[in-house]
Order: sequence, then structure tokens, then C-alpha cells
Amino acid sequence: MTDWVARARWNRRELLAAAAASAAGALVGCGSDRRPRVAIARADRYDVDLEPILRRALAEVGVGAREIAGRRILLKPNLVETSLGAGHINTHPQVVRAAAAALRSLGAASVVVGEGPGHRRDTLLVLEESGLADVLVQEKLRFVDLNRQPGFPVANAGGRSGLVRLTLPGLLAEIDWIVSLAKLKTHHWTGATLTMKNLFGLMPGSYYGWPKNVLHFAGLQESILDINASVRPQLAIVDGIVGMEGDGPILGTAKPAGVLVVGTNAPAVDATAARVMGIDPYALRYLAAADGWLGPVGAEAIRQVGETLASVVTPFQLVQGIPAHKALLDRDSGAGY
Amino acid sequence: MTLPEIAAATRDAALAEVARRARADGSYAARAEASAASVEATAWAAIGFAFGGAPRASAERAACAALVQAQAADGRLSTSPLHPGAYAPTSLALLAWNRAAPYAAARGAALAFLVGHAGERFARTAESALEIDPQLTGWPWIDKTFSWCEPTALALLALEVERRGEESRAAEGRRLLLDRQLPSGGWNYGNTRVFGNELRPAPEASGLVLAALAGRLERSAVAASLDYLARQAPRLPTPLALGWTLLALAAWGERPPASDRWLAQALARADRYGGYETAELALLAVAASAPHGILKGLASRAVDGNPSPEDGAR
Repeated sequence: MTDWVARARWNRRELLAAAAASAAGALVGCGSDRRPRVAIARADRYDVDLEPILRRALAEVGVGAREIAGRRILLKPNLVETSLGAGHINTHPQVVRAAAAALRSLGAASVVVGEGPGHRRDTLLVLEESGLADVLVQEKLRFVDLNRQPGFPVANAGGRSGLVRLTLPGLLAEIDWIVSLAKLKTHHWTGATLTMKNLFGLMPGSYYGWPKNVLHFAGLQESILDINASVRPQLAIVDGIVGMEGDGPILGTAKPAGVLVVGTNAPAVDATAARVMGIDPYALRYLAAADGWLGPVGAEAIRQVGETLASVVTPFQLVQGIPAHKALLDRDSGAGY
Repeated sequence: MTLPEIAAATRDAALAEVARRARADGSYAARAEASAASVEATAWAAIGFAFGGAPRASAERAACAALVQAQAADGRLSTSPLHPGAYAPTSLALLAWNRAAPYAAARGAALAFLVGHAGERFARTAESALEIDPQLTGWPWIDKTFSWCEPTALALLALEVERRGEESRAAEGRRLLLDRQLPSGGWNYGNTRVFGNELRPAPEASGLVLAALAGRLERSAVAASLDYLARQAPRLPTPLALGWTLLALAAWGERPPASDRWLAQALARADRYGGYETAELALLAVAASAPHGILKGLASRAVDGNPSPEDGAR
């Protein structure tokens, strides 16, 4: 059984331990602190060697050769659409390069990059215009268009949307680890798009449409939860070197945040990334619903390592006229999250 | 090589690769490394072979027959038996059958299905973040979801092939497409402005839509979109965007002189991406062979593989 299915059960044990540790209100020593770790790594630019930064962050969250060696890994970046001069829309190719290099150096049996863009049917053109095609060729990384993969059904393990089953791309049956490699962005429907929303790109457009309208009809927030309940990424990484604020996920403006956020639990990573953006993670409806179920959202239930949150937090601009943003603004009391 | 020789070489090379993906039952796999039949790939193989002349006639007939076998009782063709709602291949099958008499029953059933199904409507409210008219219906990608530009354009092409382009569903489909045209030109998946901000066009969507609207509108109604495509054409390296862009410009009488070189370059680039989809190869072949667009190209061809003199003399 591939890890991304089996891991669902390991995560539940972790969650229970984290809840117990949190309830006890005690900071336990390293050996018995079972809270999911999330690392914030500082990275100010894309034109530096990001691989060692990422490797250190992976080590800080307990991911090393023992976890990676022999694994078949899917890197799933966020590639939505492209526009000249708007590299902040998508996961930067240098982050993809660094992630692939780091995982290969840790002994991964294979690393493949896959994405199913939601708006664009010409995935190859998106690869070219984003600059990722060049990196794929240089690093000899195989790319799979997840939109066109024949699919296989899995039971909807989330049960929030009414979708009885989800159809996943066939590639996932050959993969041990899924790495959600997201971008740090605001989103005009969900408030923010991070590693959990990024998994929409796993769902083949052949069965879900362009955009993935089946999921919109089923409920955006509910679909995020159901996909993440059914497909648990082993690793979640957020490219926040330059994110997007304002009217995300496409038309917002570049927002340098200078961080990579890394962890093994997607809700915990999303919650931490939201805090970097100055957003109360509990104001993100899908995250609040994920708390205690798919992963911890509360700061006390997450062991945040690396840079301190206070040293990197940089409020992302939100738009008053966008209801999903207004909900975040209304929640902002100025207090820490 | 002359441009016609380049075009013929591109067509022949693309169709040769398509032919290598044939299955024993006349259907086609989606990719070189795949083995399972793909309805979309089979339809595109047939469409491509229609431009391949006599050498491809038998394969074209076999692919068309395979599509008949894949057709459901209600006339639809779907991406997968597990996903009957993904019925966009119905339009492709009608293009593949190309009004041929042997498939009259299948065509009739597919047409009836297409005309009888539409995208969902919803009421527009004053608070809506969208600026499209959600009461207009075209066709969705997936049953019981919203109408989008590309499946609507594919359905319009199918209706045109079947000479049903004057009917009310086709007329409303065209109105929908005009409603989704971006103020600055071009189309994307099917939105214009969201929260007051204009979205960006995509060449693959813009090309497919303009190919479907050709001959039905004055140029002035889509001038900005045609100009957008003309600017995009020289810089498009990939089959889907380049193919539909050139087919659209061809249908509007504005095919760039360098089109055949660009198509040849796109075909040569296949290894960069680990090979192309069967549908992409067929689209390249069609774009190389249809100097007046896909509808006029199909209209000039019989299912028995005999091209008309109009295309042979390029």
C-alpha cells in the first residue's frame, strides 16, 4: 500500500498525541514531543542555491534519508496560468529544482513532477511560459500532465462534499510520497491558497473539467477537505520567497515574504504559512474545519522550528470588496495568531 | 523545402506517430506509452486521418467504427465508462464521423444527445463577482456543471459539421461565446472579469472559440481577439495552442505565411516533453493540412480518404 494512503492512520495517532500534549500544557522534551513540526526557513531570493536551505528545513521536521530513501516521489507544484512578468503566480521553478535535488540527495528512488492546471488546457505551454520546462529538461525530471491521466476511483474519505468517490490520476498508484509544493498566495474565493488547496491540481480535468467545476459545485471548502482526507501528502512545502497578495490567486501583486515553510502535516503547514501572511488560520474556513481532524491548526499544537514567526510575519494585503477577504479582515484583532 | 512540402511532411510525420498507437480494434491510445483505448484519442486520430489521404482511409474508417462501439445507448461518448458525465468527446466523434452515411444512426444519436444537454444556468445577483451572463447556456465539460468556452466551441463545430449551425442551440452557444470574450481580446476558460479585474486570455481557448465562430460573425465583432491571436502565433511552441491558433486564423482568412514552419518546429519539439498526446499530434496534422480552417477542411473530404483538389493544390 502506498504511503499516502497508509499514512492517514499514522497521522491520526500523531494528532491524538499532539492533543494530549497540548491539553497537558507542558513543553515536553524532544523525544516525547509528538506535535507535527513545521519549519520556517529564510530564503530571500530565487537565484541562490535553495537546496541546502530546503535540506536543513527537511531535517528540522524529521525528514531525512531514512524517510526518503527508496521512495517514489511526486512533486506537485502550483501552476495555474502564466503571464509575462508575473512569476509570483506559480511555484517558482528554482523551488521545484531545489526540492527535487534535495529529495534525490536523500536517496529517493524517483522524483516526478506532476500538475493538472485548472484554467489552462495547454499544460505544456504553461510549463514553457512559467520557466519550469527548462528546469525539467536541465534536471532530467519527468513531467506528467495530471489532467489527462486515466484515473482510478477511491472512496471519498472526507465525506464533506457529497462526492461519493474521487477519481485520482493513475500516476498516484505508482507513487509513495506526494509533496504538495504550493505558493504563498491570497485567494479570492477561499481567502488563501496553500498546500491543501494546491491538491486540486491532482484531480484530472478530464473528469473534473477546466476549471474543476465538479469540485466547485460540490463545495470549494468541502472539496479541499475531502481531497486532503483522501490523499494525505507526506510533505507540504510553501514557496513564500515571493508570494502574492491582493486579488489572488492570479491577479494579485507580488509580495516578497522571504520564506520557505516546510512540514509533514498539510494543515499545520498551512496554518503556519497563514500566520506568516498575518492571517488568522481559524478565519480560513477549510483550515478551521481541518483542525483536530486532518491536522493541528492551533499554534500550541504545532512545533514550529527554524526562524521565529515574529521575525518573518509580513501582513499580506487583503481586499475589502472580496467577501472571503473581508472575513479575514473582520477577524483581525491585531493580536497574534 | 517549400512550404507545402514542409506542411505535408509535418502532416505525414504526425499521422505516422498517431498510427503507431493504433489498437487492434481500431481505437487509439492517448500516448505512446499507454495501451488503453482513449475515446478522445480515437476521435482525434480519425479527424487527423481525414486529412491523410488514401493511405489513411482504412485507419480512419476503423477509428470511426471504434467510436460507434464506444457510444452509449443515449448517444453520448464519454471520457470513461466510470465518468459518463464527461461527454465532451461526443462533439469530437461528430467531427470524426464527418457527416458520413455509414454512421448516420450514430451521428443522429450523438446529435440528439448534444442538442438535448446543456450547461447549468444560475441567476445573476447584484452582488455577483462575475460579469458574465450566467443565464446563457452552452455546453459544459462535465454534465450538471456550468457552460464553458471550449466545450461550447467544440459542440458548435460539431453542429456546423452536421449543418445544424442555424439552430437555436447553436445561436445561443455563439451568444455565450461572445459574452465571454475578454474586453481586451481573446478568451480563457470562460470568465471575463472577477471582482472587477479583467482576466487573461489563453491562446488554446481563443483559437478554438474563433475557429467555431468563423463564418458566423463580422470580423469587427472579434477584431481584438483575432489581433491577439496574430500576436501570439509566432511565439507558441506547443501543439494545442499553436494548432488551434493557426486553425482559427486560417478560418478567418488570416493564416500567417510562416504557419507551416511553426507547425514543423512544434512537431520537432515533442521529445522535449516526453512525446505528445495523440490528440495533439492529430491537431498538428490538421493545422498543417487545412489552410482554410478545420470546418472547410472536413467539408472538402469524404470518409473514403479522397481529398478535394482545393487542398491538394496548396
